[in-house]
Amino acid sequence: MAERNTTRLFVKRLIYVALWLGLVFLHLLPIDVARPSPLSAPSLLERIWTGPDLHLAITLAWVLRRPEYVPPLLVAGTFLMSDLLLQRPPGLWAALALIGSEALRSRAPGLRDLTFPMEWLNVATTTLAMFLGYRIILGVMMIEAGPLSPTIVQALATIAVYPLVVGLSQLLFGVRKLAPGDIDGMEART
Amino acid sequence: MARDRAQNDDYKGPLKRLLIGVLLLCLVGIFLLWRIDSPRVERFRAQVIDRVVPSFDWAMAPVTGAVNILRDFQSYQRLYEQNQELRRELKKMKSWKEAAVQLRDENARLLDLNNVRVDPRLTFVTGVVMADSGSPFRQSVLINVGARDGIVDGWAAMDGLGLVGRISGVGQNTARVVLLTDTSSRIPVTIQPSGQRGLMVGDNTLAPPISFIEAPDQARPGDRVLTSGDGGVFPAGLVIGRLAEDPGGRMRVRLAADYERLEFLRVLRSYGYETIDTPGDLIIPLERAPSSTAPDEAQSAQGDPADG
Repeated sequence: MAERNTTRLFVKRLIYVALWLGLVFLHLLPIDVARPSPLSAPSLLERIWTGPDLHLAITLAWVLRRPEYVPPLLVAGTFLMSDLLLQRPPGLWAALALIGSEALRSRAPGLRDLTFPMEWLNVATTTLAMFLGYRIILGVMMIEAGPLSPTIVQALATIAVYPLVVGLSQLLFGVRKLAPGDIDGMEART
Repeated sequence: MARDRAQNDDYKGPLKRLLIGVLLLCLVGIFLLWRIDSPRVERFRAQVIDRVVPSFDWAMAPVTGAVNILRDFQSYQRLYEQNQELRRELKKMKSWKEAAVQLRDENARLLDLNNVRVDPRLTFVTGVVMADSGSPFRQSVLINVGARDGIVDGWAAMDGLGLVGRISGVGQNTARVVLLTDTSSRIPVTIQPSGQRGLMVGDNTLAPPISFIEAPDQARPGDRVLTSGDGGVFPAGLVIGRLAEDPGGRMRVRLAADYERLEFLRVLRSYGYETIDTPGDLIIPLERAPSSTAPDEAQSAQGDPADG
């Protein structure tokens, strides 16, 4: 029983790493190099469009459901690698992601009994705080950060996509909240 | 069960908190180190990318290929119009080609008459684009040539048509090209035919604006924009694109390079310019000659003893 639990734990962690690898892979594909040109009068949407930070959404969703699937070391490691591979300032976004996920992790037992909208609200504030902190630190350190609007859109998109990420992780990967009276080994049998 | 977990937390808590604290310190430390000693950390980043990205290559190639096929398929829909357009352009180009050939001959004759020494032709290494940096905040691509092929930081990268960017970060087998559209890109340019100097500033859009033009009213939309070679980073005279005016009245560059499809990039080898740093020495008469009043002559060009 215990062995089965640990194998399942590691399988879930592996799934997390695989998801992260997939996301980085999609980001690195050389198909979206061109940015819209202001000469052809792009629409507002085109100018500020950025995708959500799915890695962050997955991390937060999993931390709130099964904290043991995403240990801090894994979060820090994957985010640091993303920083390095995606040309972000190394370490900063990883540190913020670690702080954010740990904040939610400590709140997870309390949030477990609340409704989903409350959880969503919590995640939204955390995400916004992270993005805000990111911009502020970049500003203070005088690192060129580009225009502000894509960052805002990215934060909002991450928040908007969160319920979807939660639903998919429950459906596909069986990452759901512990119900009262639920023994850890239960799902493995079904 | 719940109590178990609470008890677990009791003795695991401080240890976990310590771990998180150490992790956090490490990450912040890396960030600060990067801020203070950026080149070293960037070199480390280049090494990491060098190790990781080529291992994605087997999967990247087919996916990229599939997406490109899909895009091509979309463009089939307006095949007829494109064909007509191309025919018209071809007609125009034929007359231009004739003119160009004549000019080339004439130019060669004139150069020959004047005994002009032209810059040696730039040679290049061609690389394939492997990956882009994937974020709207940083505009760069990875190519599959690196230190192994003698690539050096700062060299210019072009596609067949125009300047694309600058090498920044070289690994053993990969190199990163910061595109002209990146917010950290600043390229000194000349605008022809008026000969104005300016600075092209990347702003994350496909048409970077030009600032610091000396006399902005002399620069007109349609003028050609070339690298000026100021600052000694790029060779002079590489094609960048043409001027255009955006709806706000600001001068921007319509890039000649095809940013929609960056597939093959040429990295131009340039070993910098020899600079003349001595003010010129006195020409001292040879030992054998009896010392007399030799005329002081400033020797301006060094290193080329064969004159005429």
